[in-house]
Amino acid sequence: MLLTPEIISILTLDFVFFVFGTIAFFISLKIYLKWDLNATNQRQYQLEKQSHLVATIIKYIFILKLPMFLFFAFTADKLSNVIPGAMCAAGVVGSVSFSSSMFFFKILNLYIFGFWLVLNSYDLKREDLPYTKYKFLLYCVGFVSLVIEIFYEISFFTSLDPTRIVSCCSTIFSASTPILSFMFQTNKIYFAYAFYAVLLLIIVFYMTKRYTAYLFLNIAYLIVSIVSLIIFFGPYIYQLPTHHCPFCVLKKDYDYIGYILYATLYIGTFYGISGAIMSIIKQQKQTKYYNISLASNIIYALIVSSYVITYFLRNGVWL
Amino acid sequence: MIEFKNVTKTFILDNRDEMTAIKNINVHIKKGEIILLEGPSGSGKSTILSLIAALSKPTNGEVTVDGKRISKLSDDFTSVFRRENIGFIFQKFNLISTLSAKENVMVPLIPSNPDEIILESRMSELFEKFSIQSKMNILVKNLSGGEQQRVAIARALVNNPSVIIADEPTANLDKKLSLDFIDIIKKLKDGINTIIIASHDPLFFDLDFIDKTISIKNGEMI
Repeated sequence: MLLTPEIISILTLDFVFFVFGTIAFFISLKIYLKWDLNATNQRQYQLEKQSHLVATIIKYIFILKLPMFLFFAFTADKLSNVIPGAMCAAGVVGSVSFSSSMFFFKILNLYIFGFWLVLNSYDLKREDLPYTKYKFLLYCVGFVSLVIEIFYEISFFTSLDPTRIVSCCSTIFSASTPILSFMFQTNKIYFAYAFYAVLLLIIVFYMTKRYTAYLFLNIAYLIVSIVSLIIFFGPYIYQLPTHHCPFCVLKKDYDYIGYILYATLYIGTFYGISGAIMSIIKQQKQTKYYNISLASNIIYALIVSSYVITYFLRNGVWL
Repeated sequence: MIEFKNVTKTFILDNRDEMTAIKNINVHIKKGEIILLEGPSGSGKSTILSLIAALSKPTNGEVTVDGKRISKLSDDFTSVFRRENIGFIFQKFNLISTLSAKENVMVPLIPSNPDEIILESRMSELFEKFSIQSKMNILVKNLSGGEQQRVAIARALVNNPSVIIADEPTANLDKKLSLDFIDIIKKLKDGINTIIIASHDPLFFDLDFIDKTISIKNGEMI
């Protein structure tokens, strides 16, 4: 096991998240099962007080989790200096068999905890606290997901072996990787078409104010954006037809553009998904959410597209 | 209208012991009444006031003010409730010494950001009512005790509260100023503002304009 200051920081925070998250979990469960706002007994008043405590814990977990996600990528990238064969974070992360699951839960938790905050803010805006039971139920689900993520993260860091040679990102994100091979065998322009088609649908549904579809379209946009970044847009950012790594964009060599790309993608899809869910729950349009979502999704598209156009204008060929 | 239904308030002390400040209180106060809460120190008078002002929540039971279940409101809503409905008169006035009398009276209005013309007319009206027009722009630390007390009362009234709460308002005053205060309270009786005074000062006993006296001893009504 490697113990760098970054790993120690992440594991310490994991421990803190686990301890406070567990406290919040048991209280949330109690609130979900026993909450009755009309009751004027001691138990209900105690639950009302505890709901503030839990909300504060969850808020801080999310506030820390957001930069922690980027810090994890930064740490994995830094570790590529000591893991033989790794050229960036992809090689380090790819050295374990559960890397995809770990990233799935990391991303899922950002959306769950973010949505929890949205639900919490709507709940506190009304005197009758209409979403209290649901938000604490959501946290119970989120906690399970959080524990799985922590388990994966600890397993990941304990599995790192500086004596074992791992694959570099060029090998991981290539046709030689079974799970990705079919994508690389498909004409990559189709991924660009899919990306722009979903974006176009988002714009159409925004203009026609059919916001419920936003939920599915933003999930689709998230997936298609990441896939198209790997297959189609990545080579234009790296100006190298064989380089498809989604982690190298976080490097200084590419002006840390990855941080902006992932941030805009997260903001766009998060507000789109949250706005759609809240409009279903509240039966009321969440215009502010849709505006932020659309703006952020378009910024993402403009940034990745600019690399393609710039490359073509400079070189006169497509990759 | 203020209503307490079976209200109990228990505090957890540092050593984890419990201290019951008030026990099973049932009170019904009509709009516009002037109420005296009397009882020895530590009997639970201030606890009752803090519950009416939604500064704390009961351990059991329910507090309603003007039909609103204030004991069930979350912190954000209790702040708005206090801002719009409650005026406080404190034992030590709690004025901001570095501000003028006028600025002190204006402080509760800051969150609602009123129009300047309305604000000025409200200031003139209040300062005239309490005969301190000439002291408007003087720092409160340079005012006499009696004048400071009038500024504190003006501040409590500035947002037209439906309930005015005074916690031991004469504890820091000599007899003359205490009688002045009683005179002001008497003039405030208009059938609209409900005034609740917590005090163990004998000067308040047997006053003809007090509608009801609630006696508290060891957290219970007697």
